[in-house]
Amino acid sequence: MLSLKMKLEVLGRPDVDIPVVMSDRKEFANTVLWLEDQKIRLYSIEDRCKLRTVDNPEIWKEGYLKYCADLSMPPLETRQEQLAWIVSYAVRLDFLDDPDQFASINTKQVPPQSNGKQSQQRVQAIFDGNINTQEKAFVDGVRLLASKLNVPHHPNHLLQLEAIARVVHERLSPAAKDRKPVVGKPFPFDKGNDVVSSNDSALDLPMRILRLLQIQSLRELQTHINETIVAVQNITANPKTDTKLGKVGF
Amino acid sequence: MVVRPYNDELRYLEKVSDHCWRIKKGFQPNMNVEGCFYVNSRLERLMLEELKNSCRPGAVGGFLPGVKQIANVAALPGIVGRSIGLPDIHSGYGFAIGNMAAFDMNDPLSVVSPGGVGFDINCGVRLLRTNLYEKDVQPVKEQLAQSLFDHIPVGVGSKGIIPMNARDLEEALEMGMDWSLREGYVWAEDKEHCEEYGRMLNADPAKVSMRAKKRGLPQLGTLGAGNHYAEIQVVDEIYDKWSASKMGIEEKGQVVVMIHSGSRGFGHQVATDALVQMEKAMKRDKIETNDRQLACARINSVEGQDYLKAMAAAANFAWVNRSSMTFLTRQAFAKMFNTTPDDLDMHVIYDVSHNIAKVENHMVDGKERKLLVHRKGSTRAFPPHHPLIPVDYQLTGQPVLVGGTMGTCSYVLTGTEQGMQETFGSTCHGAGRALSRAKSRRNLDYKDVLDKLDQLGIAIRVASPKLVMEEAPESYKDVTDVVDTCHAAGISKKCIKMRPIAVIKG
Repeated sequence: MLSLKMKLEVLGRPDVDIPVVMSDRKEFANTVLWLEDQKIRLYSIEDRCKLRTVDNPEIWKEGYLKYCADLSMPPLETRQEQLAWIVSYAVRLDFLDDPDQFASINTKQVPPQSNGKQSQQRVQAIFDGNINTQEKAFVDGVRLLASKLNVPHHPNHLLQLEAIARVVHERLSPAAKDRKPVVGKPFPFDKGNDVVSSNDSALDLPMRILRLLQIQSLRELQTHINETIVAVQNITANPKTDTKLGKVGF
Repeated sequence: MVVRPYNDELRYLEKVSDHCWRIKKGFQPNMNVEGCFYVNSRLERLMLEELKNSCRPGAVGGFLPGVKQIANVAALPGIVGRSIGLPDIHSGYGFAIGNMAAFDMNDPLSVVSPGGVGFDINCGVRLLRTNLYEKDVQPVKEQLAQSLFDHIPVGVGSKGIIPMNARDLEEALEMGMDWSLREGYVWAEDKEHCEEYGRMLNADPAKVSMRAKKRGLPQLGTLGAGNHYAEIQVVDEIYDKWSASKMGIEEKGQVVVMIHSGSRGFGHQVATDALVQMEKAMKRDKIETNDRQLACARINSVEGQDYLKAMAAAANFAWVNRSSMTFLTRQAFAKMFNTTPDDLDMHVIYDVSHNIAKVENHMVDGKERKLLVHRKGSTRAFPPHHPLIPVDYQLTGQPVLVGGTMGTCSYVLTGTEQGMQETFGSTCHGAGRALSRAKSRRNLDYKDVLDKLDQLGIAIRVASPKLVMEEAPESYKDVTDVVDTCHAAGISKKCIKMRPIAVIKG
């Protein structure tokens, strides 16, 4: 929600009340129209008339669905996802209008090996170069799988594929299905001893989530280590005591 | 040492907050950085009285007062930040016990000092939990104390019941807790819940004298004497329910076992040998200190490196020692309750070292620096998400085990971000002496001390009852004062309080 608000602000539409936009169809329609009018400009002005009939829900809906299809938006279910996608699309267009303006930020903050490239290499390595991961059939397959498993959309299908792999591993693999349910009292993860960034909730929440994921994978690693130690112990362990050796001091 | 009237001395001290005092440069000669100490009103009185007494004309002999010792440490070459006194501080050899100081590893003049680690290298505390409750243990506590006493030899000159030869010892010195794991004395999870994972990698047994090894060999698996003890405790109070549950402590009345021990005669000999070497090195490298007891050597000199390697071996010895006692404790409990240690859920909650020097990275003036951190009578207390603490405590912060005095209470604290910034992630380690051993022997009667414990319903097994008054609660500061000061100053956070129901000691 907050990132959506920020993106709209960046595009020059400040003071948007996101929850209202989500719940009020008219507000939603106005926001979409504004984006098309000011930023995206996919249609000619005449073609935007259906989108402009904000007061007639049926005509508007027809126009909106066509608009989504014309933008080649992936099938997204909720308005929030759809708006997020349109806004991101608008941001990208805005950026491409004058990429040089942002060159200084780019070179400093994005590491040379960007996320997309890494995942591409990883996926290619798995398929051993036998499959062209950029082929349309492959991309469509990933998108289909994602919609079946409710994995959120990402412009880079390979990154999305990694997310799918994680969902399958965590939830659908035989090991995950046989896993005993976690017992114990749940604890709200935003209430620990750890201070993250209490005055900036936009930073606080994602950081907590990332840290929890990191802790989860660390725990997995540590469990593997412990299992390995136990396996070795089965061969080497031979604890002995000899009470005859004992001597109490003074 | 500069001798000034008490009122003049006070001009160098400034109370900066309710719980923190600043020691300005000039209090002792050549101070490179300022000093500070954490106290509450009661501890403050003790601290200043000690200084006042030393200002009286004709006061000679004994250790310097703690404040002076903090300032002398601040005059050592290469020290960064501040020389810090924790609330349980009391005078010791060179460094006060309860003093921590960090030295810049990249400064060629920086030193390492055995006095900043102490003679009982890697003295520390380990806490085991159980799934038993007070009602299960009360009826059998006398037998249980006896059984522990039979399993874990105590006292000066005691010998352990785990058979070891010279080769085993060499391996143990190099491998630390990995040796105990390999031999099957401890569980894999024990290593996970131990500071440094129970092994210092730079240990080199070849740097340890024959004499130290001879002293150490028969002593593995023994508790020792002095303030060392093993206690069966019950949870008395839970301040931070969530952190406690991460440690496997669910309710009041749960039974835990605390083991407080170190590297016995082995560590003592390593420290003694190093002091001799360092005096020579100081002469050669022309290192000047305010106090002869602050013998030290440059970190990068042969003597400095030899000491660090031998100290690491002694630290490993202490971990093997505490691990062996963990094994023996589990055996004693399993026999008593006719079950297995597994079924009693006897996991190690944590194992802390409070006499050690370690290489750590800290932020100094906004930059990350590699430091050699001396903690003498001071416990590491890292905050949540620090990479060097176990994954299970990433959200709570490192557990800090603070052993009280015989018959009083003990605490578990957790590390905080503020402690990381103010004290290089360090906090108190125990009660801290208020009376010297000799003074306690003069002022107290051992029978009274034992009677008092009896009245409190604490079972006690002790090897040398006639020395028990040295460790009586009256000889120490109040551990609750100490812990409350750390909590109020924000350098660590109170989590659990325990009280003893059975004690074994030397």
